[in-house]
This record gives sequence, C-alpha cells and structure tokens, in this order.
Amino acid sequence: MRILVVEDNDTTSQYLQKALQEQGYEVDLADNGQDGLFLALEHDYQLILLDRMLPKLDGLSVLSTLRNAGKQTPVLILSALDSVAERVKGLREGGDDYLVKPFALSELLIRIEILIKRKGNSSELSNKLQVADLQMDLLAHKVYRGLIEIQLQPKEFKLLRYLMEHAGQVISRSLLFEAVWDYHFDPQTNVIDVHVARLRKKVELDGHAPLLETVRGVGYRMVEKQ
Amino acid sequence: MLPYLKPFVAWVTEWWKNSRQASSVWRLTRLYTSLLLLVVGILLLLLYQLSVGQISRNQRSQMGELVQQQKLLAQELNQADFIKQFELQAAGSRQYILSFVTQEQVYGRLTSAPKYLRSCPSITRFPIWLDNYDEIRLISGCSQALPQGLLVIATDDESLFDLKTQFISASIIALLLALALGITTGLIFSHRVLKRINTFNSIAQRVESGEMTARVPVSAQGDEYDHMALHINTMLSRLEDSFHAITGVTDAIAHDLRTPLGHLRQQIEQGLMDAHKSGSPTDNLTEMLVKLDAILFTFTAMLELTRLEQKQQTTHFAAINLQVVINDAVDLIRPIVEDNHQSLRIVGKQNCIVQGDATLLFRAIYNLLENACKYAGQHTQIAIEITDNGFIISDTGPGIPDHEKDKVFQRLYRIEESRSIAGFGIGLPLVRAIIRLHDAQIALENNHPGLKVVVNFNSAEQ
Repeated sequence: MRILVVEDNDTTSQYLQKALQEQGYEVDLADNGQDGLFLALEHDYQLILLDRMLPKLDGLSVLSTLRNAGKQTPVLILSALDSVAERVKGLREGGDDYLVKPFALSELLIRIEILIKRKGNSSELSNKLQVADLQMDLLAHKVYRGLIEIQLQPKEFKLLRYLMEHAGQVISRSLLFEAVWDYHFDPQTNVIDVHVARLRKKVELDGHAPLLETVRGVGYRMVEKQ
Repeated sequence: MLPYLKPFVAWVTEWWKNSRQASSVWRLTRLYTSLLLLVVGILLLLLYQLSVGQISRNQRSQMGELVQQQKLLAQELNQADFIKQFELQAAGSRQYILSFVTQEQVYGRLTSAPKYLRSCPSITRFPIWLDNYDEIRLISGCSQALPQGLLVIATDDESLFDLKTQFISASIIALLLALALGITTGLIFSHRVLKRINTFNSIAQRVESGEMTARVPVSAQGDEYDHMALHINTMLSRLEDSFHAITGVTDAIAHDLRTPLGHLRQQIEQGLMDAHKSGSPTDNLTEMLVKLDAILFTFTAMLELTRLEQKQQTTHFAAINLQVVINDAVDLIRPIVEDNHQSLRIVGKQNCIVQGDATLLFRAIYNLLENACKYAGQHTQIAIEITDNGFIISDTGPGIPDHEKDKVFQRLYRIEESRSIAGFGIGLPLVRAIIRLHDAQIALENNHPGLKVVVNFNSAEQ
C-alpha cells in the first residue's frame, strides 16, 4: 500500500509520514506541486494526499493535470481553505474527498481507508446488504434482523445503509453526517451519537449478537461481513 | 362651475390629510402651499374691499341718504307737495331709480313695484323692462314705507354685479393657480431634496449590509448636502479603516495561530498513539485534545464569520426549496427534541423557493432549531413555519428580554441566564451573517410566551 503525500509544510508531512507508516502504509513525500505531479504520474499509488496551497504548482492544477492525463488515483485534498465553495471547487476538479486543516488524525485515517477500499470493491453492485443476520433490501427499502422486520425512518435507513456498506471499517461522525445529510460541515454536537444510539436500539434486538460498536473518541464500526 | 369644484375640493382635502404621514419635505411643501394660499387670499380680499366693495358701499350709503331725505320731506310736506317734489327728484336722478307707490297711482320712473321688495337697507334684486332699450335688466333696490305711500329706490348695478362675479371667479382661478404652483414647486423641491436624501439612505443601507467601500457621491455645487456627504464619507473611511484593522488583526491571529495549533494537535495525537502502544494512561492527553478542539472550533467559526460578514464567500447561489432544507434540519434535531420531552412540528406546506447556498441555509436553520431546543427548556413546544417569503421558528420557552434582542447577535455575547448552558456565543452571529448573505432579514419577536425568530427572504418565490 503506497501513499503519496504532497505537502509543503515539513512538520505536517513528517507527522503524516510517521502516522501513515505506523498504519502499515509506504509513504512518498513531495514538498511542491511539480514534484508531486511528477511522482503521481510516474507511480501507481493507492492514494494521494494533496495540499492545496503548494509552491511551483498549486494543488488544484496538480489534480486537474493528473485527471486529464487519465490517472484515476483517489485523491484526498487537505486544505486550510474551509469554505463550502472551496470544497466544491476541490471536488469538482476531481478530488475524491476533502479534509480541512487542522484535522484529526483518526478522521484522516478513516477517510484514507474508505477511499482505498472503495477503489477495491466499487464493482460490487447488489440489491441486498447483509451483515450477520441483519439484512437490508435496497429496492424494497426493508430491513430484517433474522425474520423480524425493523421499521426505520428514511434517515435511519440511510445511516444503517452507509454503516453496512462499510462494514468492518471505522466510520467517523462527520463522515456519517455527510453521507446521510449531504451537507458539508461539522455540526459540532453529539447529535450524530444520538441518532446512532436510536438506530442501535432498533437494530440490536434481544438474543441477537451486537453488531454496531462504538470506537471511543473516533466513531462507529459495523462488524465485518461473514 | 360649483358642481365640478366640489369633488375636486374634496379630493384635494382628502389628499392633504392623507399626506400627513409623508416625509418632512412634504410637510414643508404643505406648509408653504398653505401660506401661499393664505397670502393670495388676503391680497384678493383687500383688493375686493378697495374696489368693488368700495363702490357698492358708496351706492348703499347714497341710497340710504336718499331714503332718509324723502322720509324727512314726507313728514314736513303734504301729499301733493311731496309728490311734486318727488317727481322732480325722480326725474333729476340719473343714477337712482325712484318710485313712489300710493294706493291710487305709481309715481316716478317705474310703472309698478314688486310686492316682495324688502324694506331698506336690505337689498332685493328684481327685473325691470326698459322701453327705450327693449330689454330686461336686473336692478337692486329696497322699499321704505312712508305715511303717504311706499317709496321704492333702486339702482342699475348690473355692471357692478357682473364685476363682482368676475372678480370672484378670477379669485378662484388665482387661488387654484397658487395651489397648483405651490404643489408643483413643492413637488420639484421635494423631489430634488428627496433624491439626495435617498442617495444618503441607500449608501447607508449598503454600508449596513456589509459593503464598507460604499461612499456618498459629492456634487460640484458645494452646498449643505455636499458638506454632509463629505463628512459622512470621511466618517465611513475612518470606520472602514478601523474595521479592517480589527478584522485584519483577528484574521491574522486566528490564521497564524491555526497552523501552530494544528501542529500542537498533531503532537498530542502522536503522544496519544504512543501512550496507547506503551499502555500508559491517556486521560490527560484526551482532555487536552478536547480543549484544543474547542479552541480550534472557535477560531474557525470566527474566521468564517468574518468571511461571511465581508461577503467574501464566493458561493454560487442556486434555487433552494426551503421545505427540503427544513425537513433535513428537523430530521437531524428530532432525537434531541424527543430526549428533551419537547415537541417539534412543521407548519405550512408552502413551496418557498429562495436563491441560496443549501449548506449555509441548513446550518442557519439547524442552529436556530438547536438554540430553541437548548434554551426553551423541557416540555416546551417548538414550531417551524414555512411562510410565503421565508420561515418562522417559535418556541414556548422563556424567550429573550427586549433589551437583549440586539445584543445576542454580537460575537461572543451570552445572556447572563444562559451562561450555564454550553455554548460559544457564535451561533446567532453566524446565523445572522448567513441570513444577510442571502439578502434576507432576521428579526426576534415575542411569542407570548417564548421567542419567535422571523426570517424573510427578498428572493423568495412560490
């Protein structure tokens, strides 16, 4: 697993390198846009972490050149520019995700993992999701735990769907919020926790094994598919 | 002429009364026109009294004298002598038509006298037939009862009467002209003054809505308005300078500190990971991280607020259905509302479309709902109503005292009673900045009891 980090701030890039290496990734560093673009075109990376404000060639130009050259490597933009308009601009240029600096490392690691995994199983299209004895019928909009049907609100359905689609992965609160509500900001409260707690109450039935676990200080994880 | 005049006068008085609420310039115009009318009226009255009035007064007094004379003669002379002298008198007087009516005969210039003549000095107008001109003329006269018979004295004042009528109609025309002149000058005057005052107003509004660079145009006339404009422009420049100084400093602080604070966060996280590996306690580091995140959140919010207030956000507005955004926000807050034993309902199903940024509007609405939920207290009712041009969020909580209503929009301001509730005092300023960015207005009203937040969009469509 090889990741390219294009970041001009030494402290941040060193920190990213160390943190990513600890997670078992190989890391290449570039401290300006030109070198970054060169490396990205030369090698096949699993993921590129791209700063927006870079010397020589700015992040968005690197990104658009890369996409024009036909490289579909997932790109996660890291930027201090935090307005919605900037985020939209970044995603429109071909970015796969956008994280505002300063970010929590746990959030970054979660998003990296999701981007890399997405690349792997994007071909897997199915009308049914299943985790242990929890089944979701995407066409009929129905959820069953074993044989018992579970009644869910539309937003709860979306929440559960996202968690089931990413079973085995840790999902952060902000990722859940973005996936279910599709607005890009951090509500900064425990409101997502309250939603997950309600969902859990509905899904975790007596006599069935627990499926949804809380990863303290980070987010939630649905148990792996068997 | 009168029947046409009546509705016109009614219309003018109506308009006069209704324009009472109008601007001060209109009040001045009205005063000016009234004075003009008064002066013209007095002048006309004086003129009348000195011309037509004088002539008719002279006539009356001469007629009075004649009557008095005949009265005295009637007392002194017998019937025959009186009639003799009367006939002489009647024949000699060219200006006055004299007649004397006894039971047998009518002496003097008239062949008969009308019965309805009032006694002198009240004047009655009556028609006579003039043989030598072959026409009927209206003359004015009166009667005086004497022992010998009835004395009738009259004068041909038709030309004077015509003069009177002409004078009155000329006066009415003059007054109407004065009125028209007054109103026209007033209109032109007020239009000019209002135009300049409106320029001041529109500039003030633009500055109020965040366009700090707006300035009042100064003309080459160098009049009072230009002096005022210059003063206002200097004041605005000063304000803009200090505003930039303040925001510049805040921005610089927030921006410059964000990077080192970000690095600090990285180090704490690194420490946390190391601690996890070595199995040493992590509580301290976790607490540090939580506190640091709160600082970073405030910084980010402050920077964002400044950006929104200065309209730096280059958002691309699109048509947004408020109903969709409101439903999303309600979906997000509902579990918390239920945990607080509050009720939350959406009223009104209008399709209200506004030009805006969905995420920003969602934040504003969610923030307002969150506030209602947080500050209204348990077992209260919260309602969000979609109106024709915006929405209203109301709760039945304690509300906000009137003197605090403006202050709650200030940065970092918190009402004394609410300090125990967690918060940064940045939510409402952010909401207002978002609302203003959308060319909309936000107002806090009393819900009797509770708070009512009314938001109206200028771009709203159904």
